[in-house]
Amino acid sequence: MQRDKFFKEIENVKHPNEKLIKTHCSYCGMQCGMNLRVNTATNKIIGVEPRYDWPVTVGKMCPKGVTAYQQTNHDDRILRPLIRDDASLKGTKEGFREASWEEAYDLIAEKFGELQENYGKDSLSVFSGVSMTNEKCYLTGKFARVALGTRYIDYNGRFCMSSAAGGFLRSFGVDRGSTLPWTDIHETDCLFIAGSNTAECHPTSMFRIWNVQERGGYIIVVDPRETPIARRADLHLDLKPGTDLALANGIVHLLIEKGYADEEFVNQHTNGFEETKELVKQFTPEYTSYLTGVAPEKIERAAEIYGKAPNAIVMFARGIEQQHKGVDNVSGYTNMALVTGKIGRPKSGVATFTGQGNGQGGREHGQKSDLLPGYRKLTNPQHVQEVCNVWGITPEEMPKPGVSAYEMFELMDQKEIRGLYLLCSNPAVSAPNLNFVRSALKKLDFMVCADFYLSESAEFADVILPSVTWSEDEGTVTNIEGRVIKINKAQEPLGESKPDWQMQVELAERLGKGKNFAHLKTAKDVAEEFRLASKGGSADYYGATWDKIEKQDGVFWPCKDEKDEGTPHMFLDKKFYHPDGKAQICALPYRPPAEEPCEEYPLRLTTGRVVYHYLSGNQTRRIKFLKDMCPEPYVEVHPDTAAIYDMEHDERIRLYTRRGEAVYKVKVTEAIRKDTVFVPYHFGHEESINLLTIPALDPKSRMPEFKACAAQMQKLDSKKVL
Amino acid sequence: MKKRLYIELENCIGCRSCLAACTQCGGHEQRNRNYVYDVNPHVNRQTMPLMCLHCENPACARSCPAQAIQIHETGAVLSALVEKCIGCQNCTIACPYGIPKFDEEENLMYKCDLCIDRTKDGIPPMCASVCPSNTLQWLTEEEIEQKQRRHDLDNDKWVTSMPYLEGATNVKVNLPGILQGTEKLF
Repeated sequence: MQRDKFFKEIENVKHPNEKLIKTHCSYCGMQCGMNLRVNTATNKIIGVEPRYDWPVTVGKMCPKGVTAYQQTNHDDRILRPLIRDDASLKGTKEGFREASWEEAYDLIAEKFGELQENYGKDSLSVFSGVSMTNEKCYLTGKFARVALGTRYIDYNGRFCMSSAAGGFLRSFGVDRGSTLPWTDIHETDCLFIAGSNTAECHPTSMFRIWNVQERGGYIIVVDPRETPIARRADLHLDLKPGTDLALANGIVHLLIEKGYADEEFVNQHTNGFEETKELVKQFTPEYTSYLTGVAPEKIERAAEIYGKAPNAIVMFARGIEQQHKGVDNVSGYTNMALVTGKIGRPKSGVATFTGQGNGQGGREHGQKSDLLPGYRKLTNPQHVQEVCNVWGITPEEMPKPGVSAYEMFELMDQKEIRGLYLLCSNPAVSAPNLNFVRSALKKLDFMVCADFYLSESAEFADVILPSVTWSEDEGTVTNIEGRVIKINKAQEPLGESKPDWQMQVELAERLGKGKNFAHLKTAKDVAEEFRLASKGGSADYYGATWDKIEKQDGVFWPCKDEKDEGTPHMFLDKKFYHPDGKAQICALPYRPPAEEPCEEYPLRLTTGRVVYHYLSGNQTRRIKFLKDMCPEPYVEVHPDTAAIYDMEHDERIRLYTRRGEAVYKVKVTEAIRKDTVFVPYHFGHEESINLLTIPALDPKSRMPEFKACAAQMQKLDSKKVL
Repeated sequence: MKKRLYIELENCIGCRSCLAACTQCGGHEQRNRNYVYDVNPHVNRQTMPLMCLHCENPACARSCPAQAIQIHETGAVLSALVEKCIGCQNCTIACPYGIPKFDEEENLMYKCDLCIDRTKDGIPPMCASVCPSNTLQWLTEEEIEQKQRRHDLDNDKWVTSMPYLEGATNVKVNLPGILQGTEKLF
């Protein structure tokens, strides 16, 4: 299915005494196909072989993917549960001793029980992540609400995809990250890519993206930095960080004014056009240029290219989403497709580059503070009843909605939340305003962390439970396209490590909730219950059976029953998911970033990824090749700016904001705006740029504004040395 | 059908996946054997891979006093035979592209062998298999000819097996400029 011109029949190399296990990468939303090489004598993973027959990525992998297998049998793996008796050592690696699972479970059950007895059910919290299978994400939601009975569960998607979700829900009434399969990308005529450093963050999209230009199509890139994709783009709109909505409004205004609006589509399939047309009128090229710093001619040219293109795809990522108006930015750029009718057909649409491996599936099935499986809402009594029927509880027993990820740290600080079960995430690196977050973690009465390495966040735990890597368990993941795919098990769990779902089933038993969990003995058992729980929701996975995934090279949701082959293209019938079947064109007033540069803090600080690392770097910083390629963070500074500050390339300087400071090496490059500095966020302890970032949250998605705050630099006083 | 490594420099995004993959070819002892350069790092993000071009008459092999560098029937210029290499490093000096690397501890040279365990059976080398940007491709002669016709701008932009440096090479390279002759769709 969806085999295209890049697909070639190639047989894999077979080494003696080896078998190949088909699976996908552990890292980003691309979920590149790969084969893990397993030694048949030792049954251990020993390498990687390209998976040429995976239709999305045809064998291609980035350096993270190529070396992903090195996580499994890494020396840093935690092999047995760890307990720390001396709470004064919290925030360090010290004081842990090995323990049995029995002892660890007993301690957790005792401490969690005490806290809930003394301070109520909601004194506990669960902080989760989406770099794990749908089955684990689903069960984590059930674990929090049924086994712990707490309202406080949220996840790291609040730092990743929640703005995209909020924007899509408002514009389309449904949140599927891409309205079309990735195999359409190279066939479109114009790619409008905003806030995505695609070549570094989703490298295996690049062969399709470059092909658009080779066919004579256009690439337009919106980014404050001249990223590798911006370097070759036909047009690079080099805006100030945090001004996307102004640019989106400016382009929508031009699309309407220059006659590129599709009146028939707008009239029949959308609401909100007139208000939007009125609102964007003030965003003339000159005014938009004043707000964004992009030359008016470039804005006009971008609108002309996108408007004229027979087919076009609007794409974006964290650059526009990690802002305190991230949801508005998403709807703002989505307006371009709705106004021109470039959606609901092949080769045209809207897509976000999903950051985490299961960023899509992980946000749909009940890890979010207000959501239940199948994208059901906790505030909808019928939705609650449907899920209660599957879980075997009453609606009265279902906890109410909690708060978002960052707000949970505020409650920890206020001692409202006293216990934490953390899994699949490393917020001591990835959350904003880390001085505050780390102090909140330290205040917890009791913290459990499930991870396969001792992350910076695990350093705050009382108990560490050894989980497995992605290669030691099976289950499904929903990739960047909305395609449900299968992760396969290549090796037995190392040491005494266990998959997260198994820990939660066993802990539920200790917590007296065995009857709701005991039937889940395998990942497949969880998968069957999860499909049922999603049935009838807007993210319906009921028909996405493991057999069908294998047979069809994945299944695009929604997939409602056994006969349904899934939905690669959304909205082909021009029916959107709002009750009247229409999409919403949104009139969105512009707001600047929460913190604008000032005399004291004159620079704009923005953050992002490098190609060699993933998220908090807890995995990739341990892989030798990746560590060698990018061992430490740095601050990118334009040469003119470096000259003003009298700073040289490779010089160590102090970078600071109202919230924190850190010391970085200067990387002088013309590939960034003069008013902007950039630091990658993958590093821990005193190297974390999130010590400096601002926790200004989007009012809808509760996404912090990682991408724009005000900063200042200072030379270190080197003369003091000797 | 004979296939060759083909390099389209314009596509490179500097991810160095080719180097990571190089270590994964069973015969490479986890050491990568090629290079990716930042062309002008203080100015922009342009990068380029520097792979062994597998010259038809390779300077590395010619310079080897021990005849340790063999040429495979496919044209791949192999890494020095361990039992013959005397560690003189002539090859590292002779190669105009600086390809052969030297292992100080083992006193042995090592270089790209075009993943000979794969390419002898027509399976693409690891670098071209994984390259996310299609900078490195594994193409038939016909496919390369098509590329050549397409990118031949009659202005010397296409450089392949030209009589520069070491003359004819088995690997074909296309210098930056592939988009110069592209006609825009609209």
